[in-house]
Amino acid sequence: MKRAFFPKLFFWLHVRHVRRHPGRAVAVVLGVAIGAAVFTSVRLAMRASLDSFSRSMDAVTGAADRVVIRPGDFVPEEWVARLLARDEVASAAPFLSAYVQDEDQRSSPFLLIGIDPFLDASFRTWSRAGDSRAGWDLVTRPFTLLMTEKLARLLDRSVGDEIRLRHPRGTAAFRIAGILDKEGTGALEGGLAAVADIATFQEFTGLSGWVDRIDLKLRHPGSSRDIEALRRLLPRDLVLERPGSGKAAGQGLLRAYAANLSVLSFVSLFVGMFLIYSLVALNAASRRRETAVLLSLGATSRSVFLLFVTEGLFYGLLGWFLALPLGLPLVRWMVEGVGRTVSVLFVRVAPEDLVLSPWELAVSLVGTLVVSALAAVQPAAEAMKVSPKEAMALSAGRERHGDAGRGPVVPALALIASVWGLSRLPPAGGTAYGGYAATFALFVGFSLLSPYVLRRLGRSSAPALKRVFGPAAYLAGRSVARSGTRVAVSVGSLLTAVALFVALTIMVHSFRNTVNAWVHQTVSGDLFASPRLNEMNRHRNIFSSDQVALLKALASRADLVPFRRFYLQYRNLPYQFEVTDFAAWFPHSGYLWVEGDPASARRSLLEGTGCVVSEVFANKIGLSVGERFRDRIAGVELDLPIVGVIRDYRSQGGVVFFSLPRFREMRLAAGLLTQDEEWSGVRFFVREDRADRAGVLNRIKRTLVEKFGDRVSFIEGNELRDRILRIFDETFAITFVLLFIALVVAALGIATTLAVSVLERSVELNTLSALGGSAAQIRSMIGWEAALLVAAGEVLGLLCGLALSVLLVYGINRQSFGWTFIYEVNGATFLWALPLIFGAALAASFPVVRLALRQSPAALLREL
Amino acid sequence: MTSRPSPASKPLIVARDLSRIYHAGKTRVVGLDHVDLEVGAGEMVVLKGVSGSGKSTLLALLAGLDRPTSGMLHVAGLDLLKASSTALTHFRRRKVGMVFQSFNLLPTLTVLENVCLPGLLAGDSESEVRRRARAWIERMGLGSRMHHLPGELSGGEMQRTAIARALINDPPILLADEPTGNLDSDNGGIVVRLLADLNRSHGRTVVMATHGDLADAFATRIVRLRDGRMV
Repeated sequence: MKRAFFPKLFFWLHVRHVRRHPGRAVAVVLGVAIGAAVFTSVRLAMRASLDSFSRSMDAVTGAADRVVIRPGDFVPEEWVARLLARDEVASAAPFLSAYVQDEDQRSSPFLLIGIDPFLDASFRTWSRAGDSRAGWDLVTRPFTLLMTEKLARLLDRSVGDEIRLRHPRGTAAFRIAGILDKEGTGALEGGLAAVADIATFQEFTGLSGWVDRIDLKLRHPGSSRDIEALRRLLPRDLVLERPGSGKAAGQGLLRAYAANLSVLSFVSLFVGMFLIYSLVALNAASRRRETAVLLSLGATSRSVFLLFVTEGLFYGLLGWFLALPLGLPLVRWMVEGVGRTVSVLFVRVAPEDLVLSPWELAVSLVGTLVVSALAAVQPAAEAMKVSPKEAMALSAGRERHGDAGRGPVVPALALIASVWGLSRLPPAGGTAYGGYAATFALFVGFSLLSPYVLRRLGRSSAPALKRVFGPAAYLAGRSVARSGTRVAVSVGSLLTAVALFVALTIMVHSFRNTVNAWVHQTVSGDLFASPRLNEMNRHRNIFSSDQVALLKALASRADLVPFRRFYLQYRNLPYQFEVTDFAAWFPHSGYLWVEGDPASARRSLLEGTGCVVSEVFANKIGLSVGERFRDRIAGVELDLPIVGVIRDYRSQGGVVFFSLPRFREMRLAAGLLTQDEEWSGVRFFVREDRADRAGVLNRIKRTLVEKFGDRVSFIEGNELRDRILRIFDETFAITFVLLFIALVVAALGIATTLAVSVLERSVELNTLSALGGSAAQIRSMIGWEAALLVAAGEVLGLLCGLALSVLLVYGINRQSFGWTFIYEVNGATFLWALPLIFGAALAASFPVVRLALRQSPAALLREL
Repeated sequence: MTSRPSPASKPLIVARDLSRIYHAGKTRVVGLDHVDLEVGAGEMVVLKGVSGSGKSTLLALLAGLDRPTSGMLHVAGLDLLKASSTALTHFRRRKVGMVFQSFNLLPTLTVLENVCLPGLLAGDSESEVRRRARAWIERMGLGSRMHHLPGELSGGEMQRTAIARALINDPPILLADEPTGNLDSDNGGIVVRLLADLNRSHGRTVVMATHGDLADAFATRIVRLRDGRMV
């Protein structure tokens, strides 16, 4: 056969066949389209977030070869000149940034960058649209800035207008000197940023003499000798590092989330695979005669195999094309939802409008086609085994219905047994490949068990069904017992979706309960106060001395627990180093301990002789109780024993807790203390004996507003905890939408399988009718079959889901994010959800029951 | 009846001690039991016997659709016992044309496309195959039905289409399994005369299985089978 003839043959035999039976194909293509749309939209949404983050980081990083930073603190500006004087350095530029907000709050807080326009020119692309004198204007006219067009539009301002900006240090008026080009710095934060001269920035933020970092361009970037020379020059608390380490760390955080969401969205596509299997298998079975004729006319077995695999690809391709229009609204929703979740949980991103990335579209197309081809392989292999002799048979070729047999029970059990080993494999690049492989093994293992379970269920239930519900139910039981592989595969699709439902419900329930306990235990306090926008500015601002004095004065009304937080990196893991006054905090709160002796750990924290680390930090870094935490933070050399591991669900990396008084002593001893107390936040606990708790809080809040105006922000503890839990719930909204879609596709699978089964057995069903079976009895039989199939899918799904939930809680989450939860099954949810899924899947099969007796028995029996 | 070819003809089909045994679970079913048969080129052999006598089994073996359990079978120079599946496919494409009782036209293909199919599967050029197909369809008197689907044809028209399809690759042997079984006597007569004409005028070897008498008058030989044996 010439290759050119194959497409024509496919069109003749398969496309025309689809046109004759469009209903079945439409259902399958729709199922695949939904799966592909979900998969594509999740990938595109994650790509938009990652791109936004990378663009921002690249714009901030610029063209630097190395950067000088001071972990946990600012870098003295004098080092710019000293470094510029070195032969090894070609150019150096200072950099500062902070989130600020316009006084009218027309826009959300945005990033203000402080640069030296002349030194910075060789590092970053930034310019005023159509004007090369922008830098000169910034330098010669204090309190001027350039902003993006998007921001100007949001703020309803144009060039020459004035705008008042707020920072914890105060409020100041800026004149807009121009609009930034969209490229380079103008692309920062999705186009929500402004640039000012560094002197203006420092005056506005009270950071005169200090910068965030110094960017360097080296004369010989590859020279390790030059780099070593610079390292020797710098004092111990200044670090010379490669630029973009923040980018790598941020991408690391996003990657784990992206992988989890991708796997979850892939499940819909995976379930769609069962639909393709069902239809190709039906066609292969119902067209055995045509296949035999084709073989008898000289077609090869290989071309028959390829024809059926191509049929699977054909449905996949149609589904993928349909997925594009179907997925468009979904993508928009996902881009927004995923972007919001990523910003809240990991790194601030501002994904712009949907960009149809050719790479992501290619991944989605290839993914859909691979899944579709794989789904068709088994029925195609069955079709190629058809003997050409069957062309001589008198009756139309039908699939041989026999006992489903034991099925591949041993491989199924082996796959399920392999789950433990696979889940123990270490993650690679922060992605839990072993965990995902274990999930796949679990799904496939349980799916392979379905033929055996159907046989057992059908056989054992048939006599009881007969006694209780009559002959129709008995026949349904017998039919399920010999239902064959294709029906078992559909049960596999339902069990996959149900397992996912069960596992995710348990995981989210356990997660939420643990977070709830953490929030109430560790994020405790009646009122939290910090310098304005401090959370966004990563706690870089501390209360001024007069603010600290006033806060101390308020301690007569409520216990005051001060803390300071630093945002750092430890071996590429972002983490927070938090020092707090444990003597004030422990009487009110505590930790959820995972490792270590709580009593001795508490003592050690109070004395400042050890630190505790979060479970995320311990798992991601590989340190545990008894080992030492070493880092240089804000100029202080720390070498502390880890005395405990605690639960903490901050999503931006790990946390290390240490004593504030002890840290202050260290700063003092090193001559680094800038003021008597360096607090980046405080929490108030109203004393138990105060009956008018609300009154006390209101008085504290009133005092804060009266004394500090908008330089300090505060939030009540209950509101903060509610906000954390609300964010938690919003985060999992996407998860449950994906889950719901997988369940819909699975229900479609059961309905398709039943339809196929009824159509195939129309002669058998009509024979029953001819023998005196009433229409009601035959429909009841189909209904019972559906019920038994759904029941088998649910029971297997429940068992698989329980195993998967353990894998998710203790394996995949630990490997992906570093945390685990207190495992808890929410039985009450399953009491209503499982019957609901049962009812829904059964309802999806009702239209099929009507198919059963569509043709007259006489017409069908004549065909025999 | 004799099972030998006429002395003038060269044997195109040689079967010796040919058996085909099926196993249905633990039951052993003998489809063909030690059959000896020679068919010379240009012969028209009619296989007769009741249902289950082994006619279709023998035809399936001759057509390379099934393999014997034991014995020797050479058809058009090919040892069908030892032939690879690739050789069998080639054999089915070029050496035999098969006509079935239930026509076996592919329902999604038009008359022209059905007839073209074996030629295209064999890798011949499409224009050449179409030319041959049109010629055979015209000869079968189906010129006006060229672009009709099988569902739009009568039984006789379907069987004539099937015969045209069997002839498209110009095979030396035509095998017909109860070709009149699904036809009324008028259409049955037309089909038998057509096969006889192909045998006599075109020298094509025809082996036809039937339990009717329509073909008896045209047969060069009649072979009777009972319980898988020749009688």
